[in-house]
Parts: sequence; C-alpha cells; structure tokens
Amino acid sequence: MRRLLLTLAGLAVFLLALPIVGLLQRMPWTSLPELLADDVTLDALRVSLVVSLVAAVVVLVLGTPLAWALGRTDLPGRRIVRALVVLPMVLPPVVGGTALLFALGRRGLVGQWLDRWFGITLPFTLTGAIVAATFVALPFYVIAVEGALRSARRELDDLEGIAATLGAPPFTVLRRITLPRLLPAMGAGLALAWARALGEFGATITFAGNLPGRTQTLPLATFLALQSEPERAMALSLVMLVVALAVLLSMRDRWLPSR
Amino acid sequence: MRAGLTLIAASLLVAGCGTSEGDERDLTVFAASSLTDVLPELNDAYEAQTGSAVTLVFGGSNHLAAQLRDGAPADAFLTADLDLFPDGTTGLRFASNRLVLAVPAGNPAGISGPDALADERLRVAVCAVEVPCGRATRALGIPLAPDTEETSVRAVLSRVSLGEADVGVVYATDAASEPGVEVVWPDAPSCPCVEYHAVPLTPAGDRFVAFLASETAVGILRNNGFSE
Repeated sequence: MRRLLLTLAGLAVFLLALPIVGLLQRMPWTSLPELLADDVTLDALRVSLVVSLVAAVVVLVLGTPLAWALGRTDLPGRRIVRALVVLPMVLPPVVGGTALLFALGRRGLVGQWLDRWFGITLPFTLTGAIVAATFVALPFYVIAVEGALRSARRELDDLEGIAATLGAPPFTVLRRITLPRLLPAMGAGLALAWARALGEFGATITFAGNLPGRTQTLPLATFLALQSEPERAMALSLVMLVVALAVLLSMRDRWLPSR
Repeated sequence: MRAGLTLIAASLLVAGCGTSEGDERDLTVFAASSLTDVLPELNDAYEAQTGSAVTLVFGGSNHLAAQLRDGAPADAFLTADLDLFPDGTTGLRFASNRLVLAVPAGNPAGISGPDALADERLRVAVCAVEVPCGRATRALGIPLAPDTEETSVRAVLSRVSLGEADVGVVYATDAASEPGVEVVWPDAPSCPCVEYHAVPLTPAGDRFVAFLASETAVGILRNNGFSE
C-alpha cells in the first residue's frame, strides 16, 4: 500500500517538475541578458508586479471582512454568497473577463454610468487589469481565511469573551487575540491569491486588453512572444518563474508551514 | 483532424466518380481558411449554374499546399499565397482583402479618417505586431496611438462591435461579416493586402476558376467585403 502511494506521489512530482525541466533545457541562456534587459520585458515585469501587488492589497482589504462575515456571523444568505465567492475559481478566466466587460465595460451595466457620470472607463487601463486580477484572486484568500475562522470559531469565541470581560477594548481583542490566530491562514491565502493574480491571463486580456507598458503583464507578453519570437517567450517565462519562487520562498519562513 | 477526415471523404467521393470529365462530375476545391465565410455562397451559385456539387476543404494555405504536394486530390486551389507554388505558376487573381477602419454601428465618435488612429482621446484597437494583421497594420505607415493590441483581428473586431473601442483596424471581410460595425475611410489604400489566387489543377477545376471571374461570383465576393 505504502509503495503504491509513494509511486503515485512520485508520478505527481514528475508531472509537476517535467514542464519546468522542459522549459529550462530550451532556455536560450546566451541571449538571455539582452532579452531580459529590453523594454518589453521590463515593462511587462513592472506592470505584472504593480497589478499583482495592488490586487493582493485589495484582496486583503475586501477579503478579510468578507471571510469574517462568512465564517463568524449568522447572516442569512451566507450559502449563496459562499457559492458566489467560489465561482471565479471555477469559471474559465475568459468567461470572467467577458462578464467583467458586460458589467464594467464602457457599455456595460455599471460601466456606462461610470463613463457618463465620472468619465471613468476601466477597459484598456491599469486599473482594469487590477480589477480583473482581483476578481480571479479574491476567492483563494477568502476560502483560506474563512476556513481558519470557522475551525477556530469556538476557541475564538471563548478567548475573545474572556478578553472582553477582562476589560480589553475591541481593537485590543482583535490585535492580541484574533489576528495572531488568523495570521498563518491569512498569509497562506494571500500568497495563493497573489500568485493567482501574477499568473492571470484570460480575464486580463479579455477585459483590460493588451498594451505594452500599460496593461501588458508577463503572461500576456509571453503569449504574444510565442507567436513570433519563442526565445523571448522562454525568457519571459523564466522571469515569472524566478519572481514567483522568490516571493513564495520569502513568505515560507514567515507564513507558510515549512514542516 | 477534421480537415483530414474531410479530405478522406473528399478523395473517396472523387474516386467514386471516376475520371470522367462530364459536367455532372463533382469537384473538390481546397481553399484558404479566410475564405470560409464566402465560399459556401459561391458554391451554391456554382451548383445552381452547373449542377455539379463542390466539396470544400478549408485550411491554412501552407497546410493545404503541403497536402497537395503529398498527392491530395483537388480540382482547384484557392490560395492566399501564390508563392507556395513553383515559380511560373499562374492563377486567376480573383479577390483581395485590405485593411479598413471599423467603428461601432452609428459611428458614435464621429470618426472619418485615419487621423483618429493617433488621437489620444479616442480608444483605438489594433492587432499586436506579433500577429499577421498587426504587421499589415504597421505597414500602412499611419501614426498609431493604440489603447490595446489584440492577439487576432477577430478580437479587434469584437472590441469595436461591443463599443469598447471607438475605432479599430480590421480586414474589410471581417468588417463585412459583423453587423455591429461600419466601415469609415472609404478611400483607404488597397494595400498592404492579401491577394487570393485560384489555381486550377484539373480541367473541371478550370471551369470553377472561370466561374470565379463571372459577374455573379464577383458580386458575391464584393458583398462579403473582398475587393477585386
């Protein structure tokens, strides 16, 4: 039994590692420096970092209260909201992007009023790319934090109650009791959400379009490069790989379980 | 795969009909995939006129040329690239396609010419330079200030028809296929362009190619956005 499980686990590792090996063995190492140093790559890297990091902040600010509402209150309609939260994880990102277009595009449900009243249009802007990335990334964070809140609900109820009877003001309770117990789940959820935002392709190109320096993220640049200049596509893939590894490794010690 | 099956079906059809050269003989025509929208209509007109059925096989011009070299049976080849044939091959240049400016139906931004493409206040969609329609767009030599560079000409078309872009550069045939857009800038240059040549491969194919020069065929091609 153990042997069977280990064989299957090994197969899984093989499946995950093989594409990375395939990418690395075709990497044009000699021309890499010039491919990486040009404007297209640097612009795409900058746009990708801005989009994914801002999306992560929005996810944190909006997602934490939502996770709290789902995990610690008895508000009606939580089931429906929970299904709604998971939806972007299941939808093909292109469908998500199309839906965003019909909602927030210049002729969309809400977008037409944004345009008419405030002169704001989201498609083809950096903000649009951030909205698309947030839409696909939010569920990963909310699910992680809500799960932690629900499993620690009894404990949190007790401890928070004790702290309050001892005279701790609400903010102190939040800071000393609630947040420390949630931090690992928040960190892990945020790392996942950020990674999802960094790799986002379909919703971004559908909703925000593609313009180098403004909305062209690393995945978009990679996809386009593949049609004319495969070496560049590989170099861009390497940048994504390194950035993702660097951030995940730096987070590991603080938040992600390492044992 | 599907093209392959169609091909097998087509070759069986041709084999079943033998090699007689009568008017009733069915034809097999290979055609570039950008002709997909217009050819069925041409086909119906040809059938109505001659009574012989035509089997159409669509694919990329390169791909179809390779199949022909491998002995695939076809009576005529409608190619977007005559260079695929040995030097000296002649064919009828029966249509061409060119770039136009497409705007949302009703032209809400009041666009009249190519100056709009460099207007920062307008939302401009073009193809990315990495894809063929994008290279053709740059070859127009017009200043561009795009807001988005799409991965295909169809994506540019949908930006315009949805009203997200005020103006986009697409092929005339794409604009003609989409009721949600209209074409401005009627005196656009006819090139850079795609030229379609019909190369007859059998005597029966000759008749089909001759039909493409007829008034009926030219009218159908024009309705679908092709130029002569």
